Amino acid sequence: MFEKIELQKGVSLYIRKSEQFKTINFSVKFKTELNQDSAASRTVLSNVLQDSNAQYRTETEFRNQLDELYGTVLYTDVGKRGASHIFTVNAECVNDEFLTQGAVLDEVIGLISAVIFEPNIVNGVFDEAIVNREKRSIKERIRSIYDDKSRYAQKRLLELLRPDGPASTSTYGTEKDVDAITARSLFETYTKMIQEDEIDIYIVGDIDVKTMTEKVKKLFHFESREVQDRTHTPEREVNVKHEENHVMEQQDMKQGKLHLGFSTPITFTHPDYVKMQMTNGIFGGFAHSKLFMNVREKESMAYYASSSYAAHYGLVFVTAGIDAELEEKAVNLIKQQLVAIQQGEITDLELEQTRALLTNGIKSAFDSARGQIEVFDQYKELDEHFSPEVLIKGWQSVTKADVQEMATEIVLEVVYLLSGRESN
Amino acid sequence: MEKIHFDNLQETLYNETLENGLEVYILPKRGFSKTFVTFTTKYGSIDRTFKPRDKDETVTVPDGIAHFLEHKMFEKEDGDVFQKFSVKGASANAYTSFTRTAYLFSATDHLYDNTQILLDFVQQPYFTEKTVEKEKGIIAQEITMYDDQPDWRLYFGTIENMFHNHPVKIDIAGTVETIQDITAEHLYECYDTFYHPSNMVLFIVGAVDPEQMMDFIKNDQTSKTFSEPTDIARSFPEEENTVAIKKRTLKMDVLKPKFNMGFKVKQNHIEGSEMLIQELASGLVLDLLFGRTSKFYTSCYNEGIIDESFSYEVTLENDFGFAMVGSDTDDPERLEMTIKDTLKLAKKEWPITDIELQRMKKKKIGQFMRSLNSTDFIANQFTHYAFNNMNLFDVIPTLEKLTVQNLKDAFETFADESGHTVFTITPAEEK
Repeated sequence: MFEKIELQKGVSLYIRKSEQFKTINFSVKFKTELNQDSAASRTVLSNVLQDSNAQYRTETEFRNQLDELYGTVLYTDVGKRGASHIFTVNAECVNDEFLTQGAVLDEVIGLISAVIFEPNIVNGVFDEAIVNREKRSIKERIRSIYDDKSRYAQKRLLELLRPDGPASTSTYGTEKDVDAITARSLFETYTKMIQEDEIDIYIVGDIDVKTMTEKVKKLFHFESREVQDRTHTPEREVNVKHEENHVMEQQDMKQGKLHLGFSTPITFTHPDYVKMQMTNGIFGGFAHSKLFMNVREKESMAYYASSSYAAHYGLVFVTAGIDAELEEKAVNLIKQQLVAIQQGEITDLELEQTRALLTNGIKSAFDSARGQIEVFDQYKELDEHFSPEVLIKGWQSVTKADVQEMATEIVLEVVYLLSGRESN
Repeated sequence: MEKIHFDNLQETLYNETLENGLEVYILPKRGFSKTFVTFTTKYGSIDRTFKPRDKDETVTVPDGIAHFLEHKMFEKEDGDVFQKFSVKGASANAYTSFTRTAYLFSATDHLYDNTQILLDFVQQPYFTEKTVEKEKGIIAQEITMYDDQPDWRLYFGTIENMFHNHPVKIDIAGTVETIQDITAEHLYECYDTFYHPSNMVLFIVGAVDPEQMMDFIKNDQTSKTFSEPTDIARSFPEEENTVAIKKRTLKMDVLKPKFNMGFKVKQNHIEGSEMLIQELASGLVLDLLFGRTSKFYTSCYNEGIIDESFSYEVTLENDFGFAMVGSDTDDPERLEMTIKDTLKLAKKEWPITDIELQRMKKKKIGQFMRSLNSTDFIANQFTHYAFNNMNLFDVIPTLEKLTVQNLKDAFETFADESGHTVFTITPAEEK
């Protein structure tokens, strides 16, 4: 898949030559331990670094230059996975081969380097005005979750399920954490990130691996660093509660957003991970699943009713948009689907369909450069030689008995309903 | 089979119109493992008044019917079509827009089996009163879901403001009330009128052998019986260039007001290369007046009048068109004024020079190249172009030829203040 070159201790280059795409994709990933206040700081930093740099002092100048380079995209983003916070600088430019005139590749690499190593610094810290503006933007971003009812309901569910764990820690931090940031503290965050984070650099496109590696070595001067294993194993609640926690909240809205939180000891690093993926698929992962066929098609209760498996946190979620008055009926129906699997009501057809769609999903993901980067980055934590075939083989060997067993490892913890004020 | 080679893009497009009128396009993509197939009819939510096939009287059908029909295509006497696609590892979907209904799947295996499933389920309708009744609960929940989405309400509220009579102002899914009137008979009437192969396009992009695929499709289509192609008589009401409502506010449970300004595009019923020029030029005008590098964006973002939710877009179809600029904002009045001032200034003193245009062209060419990596993008965009007699692959040559005058002309189609409207969502009071 990717060729790995260790540039420094803790700094790796993953490079892949592929003629599939008309563009060249870059991702530079900075990884550290996830915690609330550093998440806020790194999120603001992400906005500040993509605004300007020492070569292009204003956003307009910087964006104009990117436009000149045939609409090169260069942006930063933040995300979380397990107990890690991941800060990424992404870039994509047209392969020079497709340009009728000129070339952009070298300049683009130079710009990525400028974004990382030559920030827009005034008197040793970031520009105060820019920092304040981006603090405001990130606060708005955090607040806006309230306006999106599905996202809000999911956020509340996570807070109820794992109030102190990384599962509910916001990628963007909290408004309070953002308020505490200063131009000076942000510069400290920046320095720490550059010096201490684990770094993975990805490049995919029709490139010459050797030449590209030389260019990266020449321009990206990262020091060596110690990296810690952050492969996250969520502490299972010591007393597994046999009683479900039931929470209802209200806003001015029409539909009831029903979110159920289940826990499972089967996590991403567990040997039974592929079995649990299959189980989730049969439960509610696809349009042939038990939830879709029964909650939507048979009972006409919902437009969407599905499950998802957050393997890094050992959690399974079920979400459905329903008439809030039918909550009890819906919850029972959802529970019944899980019980059915636990009792072995699994057909060969369901196994076959789920296998086929999981396979299609992973193969399709590899049809985009960004998909290749993101999927590989996740699975390389398990296996540096990861390829989709490893997973596909795994799914093929999952049996009915496996799925049945896995279903007994899924325990309902929280039922959350967000609904309108007039109902209930 | 016609074969069109695009040298600079290193792409070859295969095209043939079959005897029953079906347009087939195939675009093989080297190195891809996925194939994306869309089967689309030129029939959307705006096609509500028409002469049914073999009838002389014009009828008006209940709102939301095109979308309802899309849902019901998936249910057959022997069960749910998703089940069949799943067995063959295909991820299937469908969507209904103002002007088209598309059925699609993507798969990395069993391409022919899946193509067969797609052709069969779209060409063999099965509606009963019972299955139609059952669907009403599901669609009612879908409508309710959209009702709770402030961004959707903002978008649609703006469209409702803009149009007096044109059915684009009617929500694509209809309302919980209007869908109650839909019957199996209605669905057959719409199906027979709009799902004839001559009103449809089949597009295949990705891992595919074009010759073999074309033969496969031809064999399938000749084995099925279709009535003669006829022209479809659709009726649309007269629509003025002015907006119906200048300003409207809706209260919802949001924390920050949401503002959207709509610009109605003057009706000119263009298509083909003329339409492509106007579509691209309008997009460039908005980029230059409101985009990330514009004076407007810089000052509004610095002053906190707009935030990361800021966006703008142009929608152009043969029978209607509009542009929008919107953002969450704590100061809707000031944002409105600033947008209006930007337009007024552009009218008085045209701000876009050839240097800026050349830069934007480069940006757009790069953007287009990037999007050609995505089979999903190609498949969805291609049909929009094909139905309006444009070709997706003319985008780059057309961009290269655009002049400042083209941009001025495009600006004129939506610059008139009588075609502007404002829609705002404000936080509901605490209860």
